[in-house]
Amino acid sequence: MTELLRILLAPLVWLVSFSAIYGLHGLLCETAEGSFAEFPVQRFVLLAAFLLAIALQITILWVLYQPRFAAPAGLLRFVSRAGGWTGLVATVWTLFPIVALSTCT
Amino acid sequence: MRALERHRKLTAIWASETGFKGWFSTVNHNDLGRMFLFTAFFFFIIGGLLAMLIRVQLATPNSAFAGPEIYNQIFTMHGTVMMFLFAIPTFEGLAIYLLPKLLGTRDLAFPRLTAYGFWCYAFGGTMLIVAMLFGIAPDGGWFMYPPLSSAIHSPGINADFWLIGITFVEISAIAAAVEITVSVLKYRAPGMSLEKMPIFAWYALITALMILTGFPPLILGSVLLELERAFGLPFFQADLGGDSLLWQHLFWLFGHPEVYIIFLPAAGVISTVLPVMCRTTLLGYGWIVSAALALAFLSFGLWVHHMFTTGIPHLGLAFFSAASTLVAVPTGVQIFAWIGTMWKGRPELHLPMLHILGFFVTFVIGGLTGVMVAVVPFDWQAHDTAFITAHLHYVLFGGFVFPIFAGIYYWLPHFTGRQQFFRLGELAFALVFVGFHVTFLAMHWVGLLGQRRRISGYTPEDGWSVINLISSVGSFILAIGIAMILIDVLLHIFTARRSCRNPWNATTLEWAMITPAPAYTFASLPLISCRDPLGREPALATALARGEGYLGVPREGLRETLAVDSASGRPEMHVLYPANTRLPIVMSAVTGLFFLSLLLKFYWTVPLALVGVIILAWRWVWSLGLRDDPAMQPVGHDLTLPSAATAERAPGWWGSVFLLTANGTFFGALLFGFAFLWTVAPGWPPPVWFKPSVLEFALGVAGAVIAPLAMRRAIRKNRAGDTPFSNVLIALFGIAVLGITCAALMMRAPAPTSHAYGATLLVLGGYGLFHATVAALMSGFLATQMRLGFTSAKRRAAFPIVALWVKYASITGLIILSAAHLPGMLS
Repeated sequence: MTELLRILLAPLVWLVSFSAIYGLHGLLCETAEGSFAEFPVQRFVLLAAFLLAIALQITILWVLYQPRFAAPAGLLRFVSRAGGWTGLVATVWTLFPIVALSTCT
Repeated sequence: MRALERHRKLTAIWASETGFKGWFSTVNHNDLGRMFLFTAFFFFIIGGLLAMLIRVQLATPNSAFAGPEIYNQIFTMHGTVMMFLFAIPTFEGLAIYLLPKLLGTRDLAFPRLTAYGFWCYAFGGTMLIVAMLFGIAPDGGWFMYPPLSSAIHSPGINADFWLIGITFVEISAIAAAVEITVSVLKYRAPGMSLEKMPIFAWYALITALMILTGFPPLILGSVLLELERAFGLPFFQADLGGDSLLWQHLFWLFGHPEVYIIFLPAAGVISTVLPVMCRTTLLGYGWIVSAALALAFLSFGLWVHHMFTTGIPHLGLAFFSAASTLVAVPTGVQIFAWIGTMWKGRPELHLPMLHILGFFVTFVIGGLTGVMVAVVPFDWQAHDTAFITAHLHYVLFGGFVFPIFAGIYYWLPHFTGRQQFFRLGELAFALVFVGFHVTFLAMHWVGLLGQRRRISGYTPEDGWSVINLISSVGSFILAIGIAMILIDVLLHIFTARRSCRNPWNATTLEWAMITPAPAYTFASLPLISCRDPLGREPALATALARGEGYLGVPREGLRETLAVDSASGRPEMHVLYPANTRLPIVMSAVTGLFFLSLLLKFYWTVPLALVGVIILAWRWVWSLGLRDDPAMQPVGHDLTLPSAATAERAPGWWGSVFLLTANGTFFGALLFGFAFLWTVAPGWPPPVWFKPSVLEFALGVAGAVIAPLAMRRAIRKNRAGDTPFSNVLIALFGIAVLGITCAALMMRAPAPTSHAYGATLLVLGGYGLFHATVAALMSGFLATQMRLGFTSAKRRAAFPIVALWVKYASITGLIILSAAHLPGMLS
């Protein structure tokens, strides 16, 4: 079970953060008002969530490379680290529009 | 003991009843795998005939072949049959038949569950086909969008057949997914670590996990829509606080992963067959496993790309557009690994290889048009046109039907013990390949010219006549090709000459036995030391037949196998399977009575069916009980193992974990629906809010805290040799209190037919009450077992299973009560 969790963790965290930020986006656009330094508050909240998601993925990847936590050498180690990279790349790529696009139009 | 004597003894133990009676009582994966595949291909023929009717209708402008009402039923049933009654069950059938053989064990984890799943599938599918024969088939399209499918716009019983019939069939998918997951993780040959597992098993495991998390949102959507249609609970009615977009979210949360649930097993077939056809080993095993995992996860982040035209903000569109393009990467990794495998080996153009080449061409085109529709501006133009229909057929026919034909031809000698004799298959492949591309390339073209999907007719002035005629001619070539494949397979089954044991010189375990496979699968279980056991030890089959592996001595008429540690493959416990029984078919018939009663609105038989299911489930589990402590079992090679009945984490515990995973996804989707309606749907706030009650909330919380603690204490006391009867009763009491507070929530919810808020609270309360009832029944069952001496400090497997369900009911109950009471209390 631990081996399975190690493999699934990073993609699972991506899935949760992706869905949560999509939900947060809907929620903020429905409810939040106001601005901060001439930018809408929604943008700051989403950017913070995006950075938090990236930080989580980097932490997971770092952990997967630590001898203490890494899977035993061989296929499971390879697949768990590939999962870690998948989570990080997917987080950066799929949530990058937060940086580039307008928020609630 | 001689090999022949062993064969006879094992056959006597494992064989199903002779004659057609055996179909109803068999629990053997060999029989059930074949039955699944036969039934799935029967439905495939029906789906194919419906496709022909569609093409006849569209062959000429102003066609009077079928009126719009019948045409709507035809295309709805075509999609429904192909998706739910052919594609998924074909995967289930193939996995059920192959997995024990590939994994080096004698059967799947829960043989009776396999049979139950099959009968649910057969009955549910029959329900839909009978509806079609009576002209009352579903007609709202295979994704049943409300408000079109709501009672206002689709009165009558047609849509109910879809909602209830498909939910019934989905039980089969969930059952198979639990079965496959536990089997892959726990039921493998000794020594087969995850690293040494055949690649098909990885794909099957990933697909099964996807089914467990992908199907529940659809089941939830179907339940909610049926509740709206039958009782007027307005989940999807915008004027009463519902939102039809909620259906689209729930449907596509299932619908997009579904595409990959269909593709991944087919990819597993390719990864297994291709290296054999190329006389080499699979290139990039680790990369392929990683890519399949990545694909599985990314596929859950794409659902909104089916909703690009629903007015979602740009940022939301961009999230899903990005995810949709990203999914091409792991798909590409697999494609390149397969190309590399061909490059590395010496490809031989046997019939399975032809179908694999057909897959490459077709699926790559389908993948590229997939990237096109992932780009939002293009999708806005192509949405709901024939271009999309063509794209999805390239993906599904290319990504599933070609690989499955490759698999069928590859494993046909295994199913029948015969070798290919006629050469009809090659001609049939050519017709299928040409026919398919003529049909669907033309459909891309006419879609770009503006032809909408699902239209029953067009005029000559539209300028689509010639292209549609070409497409229809192509479809008939395709149909002739498929008919020839079926004839070829039948000729093979009935007339071909006997085959040698391993005709392809494959290296995987399924060929290490006589063919067709004996009922017991392996005479003795192999010790695995590499990924290609037959490559390293070509005489393995003979050694196993001589009983040189584990469990080589048939014992007391018992169906035995081993369970292993999920990661290392170290033998962990000795498992006894149940024998042939009609319990699964009876249970699925009573389950069918429940669904049929709802469908025909005979509500007085609903509780009868529920009581029937409870009684049968009780009997199902009761028969597993042991009155005496089982001794350690010698399993061969100087190894003795404990019985599964003495394990803390018995197979039943693993099955419960994965069933609760599916259940948790259902619950998560329900909470998502509640939050979605609350924040996004028009018509909120509701006219009346739920009145919170501190007393009810406190009682519910107390029950939800006490019950799992009591069960935990019960486990400890039982382990120490005490009889924890009182602790189990306390758990039962706690869970009953929780159930009562959930029932109170249901009764006090604001008028559920007036607003989606009250309707959702009613469903949440119902969910809590249902799970409290299940946990209470399980606690009662355990208490009865203890009283009658079926448990002891050694026979403890039931305790953690009941504790798991009690914990689940408590956690979900707490969340439900908090969602209902806390907003009012805090405000």
